Amino acid sequence: MKIFYLIKEGFKNIWTNRMMSLASVIVLVSCLIITGAASLISVNVTSLISKIGDDDQITVYLDYEMNDLDSIKLGQQLGRISNIDSYSFYSRDEAIQKYKEVLGNIYESMQDDGNPFGNAYKVKLKDLSKYKQTVDRIKKIKGVTSVSDRSDIANKLTKLNYFVTIVGSWVVLILALVTLFIISNTIKMTMYSRGHEISIMKSVGATNSFIRVPFIIEAMVIGLLSGVISAGVICAVYTPVRDMTSGIIGFIGESTFTVEQIMIPTFIVMSVIGLLIGIIGGYISIARYLRKEGGDILDW
Amino acid sequence: MIHLENVSKVYPNGTEALKNISLDINKGEFVFIVGPSGAGKSTFLKLLIREEKASFGKIKVSGYDLMKIRRRKIPYLRRKMGIVFQDFRLIAKMNVYDNTAFAMRVIGSPERAIKKRVKEVLRQVGLEGKEKRKPGEISGGEQQRVSLARALVNKPEMIIADEPTGNIDPELSFDIMKLLVDINKAGTTVIIVTHEHELVKEFGGRIITIEDGEIKSDENYPTKYHNKKTETEEDKK
Repeated sequence: MKIFYLIKEGFKNIWTNRMMSLASVIVLVSCLIITGAASLISVNVTSLISKIGDDDQITVYLDYEMNDLDSIKLGQQLGRISNIDSYSFYSRDEAIQKYKEVLGNIYESMQDDGNPFGNAYKVKLKDLSKYKQTVDRIKKIKGVTSVSDRSDIANKLTKLNYFVTIVGSWVVLILALVTLFIISNTIKMTMYSRGHEISIMKSVGATNSFIRVPFIIEAMVIGLLSGVISAGVICAVYTPVRDMTSGIIGFIGESTFTVEQIMIPTFIVMSVIGLLIGIIGGYISIARYLRKEGGDILDW
Repeated sequence: MIHLENVSKVYPNGTEALKNISLDINKGEFVFIVGPSGAGKSTFLKLLIREEKASFGKIKVSGYDLMKIRRRKIPYLRRKMGIVFQDFRLIAKMNVYDNTAFAMRVIGSPERAIKKRVKEVLRQVGLEGKEKRKPGEISGGEQQRVSLARALVNKPEMIIADEPTGNIDPELSFDIMKLLVDINKAGTTVIIVTHEHELVKEFGGRIITIEDGEIKSDENYPTKYHNKKTETEEDKK
């Protein structure tokens, strides 16, 4: 009974201050869209980088003289290096086969006495930032003649990943604070505009929590609504933006998430963020108001 | 019911609004607090409703020790009193019924009880049939009756009225005062802050004069409205 009355009051607040509510929803939606977009860009770039990282396998070339049995034994030593995620044997026969496929007729004409390739391993790393140390360790294994060194790319990818994560986190954090500020200001304005009513409530013995609830509900509804709207906008423009970027950089298309994959998480996350920002922002301004101006009854 | 012992109030800016005040107000008394503006009358009321805390002394109201009361208990103290304001403090968008019911709703009373009690109290203040009117559609005197109805609706132990007739015509003031006397006769303590001497003379009762933060006089002034003499500090002595 009591809670229904409070919820009704919360919705009434929104309607009574509808222009204000609308303005805060618009500002919040803009902030949440930017926040959501920044997060999605960050998530997609991370996925892109890890896909590129997957392709960036190290090739470990073994001594030409080493037979297949010794070569396989050497694989066990690779397995002991902690930063190695996986390794696969790449035999000299596979190498020549691949060579033949690429060169075709040219290969036939230049063929003389058998296979010029040694055995090799394709190695995938867990952490690209330790590329150099890992390569150095591999080189120390007896029987390894050389390692394809692509530490340049590994470095750049690591830096890019780091940059995207840091910048993304800051953007999200700052915008979250901005939205918090906006919603707490909206609630503060609502409280000032209803100061008269609050002073009456206090004079007849309403508890602070009773006074608080309708405002919290108002903030929650504004936050949730903004979250849902921004998630909707993001999902609506996601595919066109993704297609557009794929047109410019081809491989983006395959390495990023589709709208179906991001839709549900986006709606859930944005709604929860909106709701939380509403609750926190609302609570902060109400607590502050009730401590100061809201305590006045006769003087109001 | 109300006990003040050596109470002083000094505001942060250094103003000493009340100086070492001691008094008791008993259940069922009809009390006027008079004095020039700036004398400390408002501060006295603020201390009673715990809008302000006294700087020194002891204050007890309806069993609550106001020097020790926890913040979250203050609303319960205020439920023991009905406050009437000079400017009525009605909510413009609510009709007479809802303005009165508001006081019950905010303390979580069930709607059925609200309906019954609001009807009763509106009849008591003479506003029967005007339930649907908004404050803007009724006279100042009637608005103050709504404010009085709202103060009464939770059956308080005392009514605290801050200049209740300050914003209404003299003839209507008289009606409001008569209502307050009736409320008092039904057993509710009534404390009225005013500077309208005519009304004080007419209605009498216990008259406490505050001047310059001190109690200048505290006397009984019997009139036709109060044939029963109430006991004051001086009588006790």
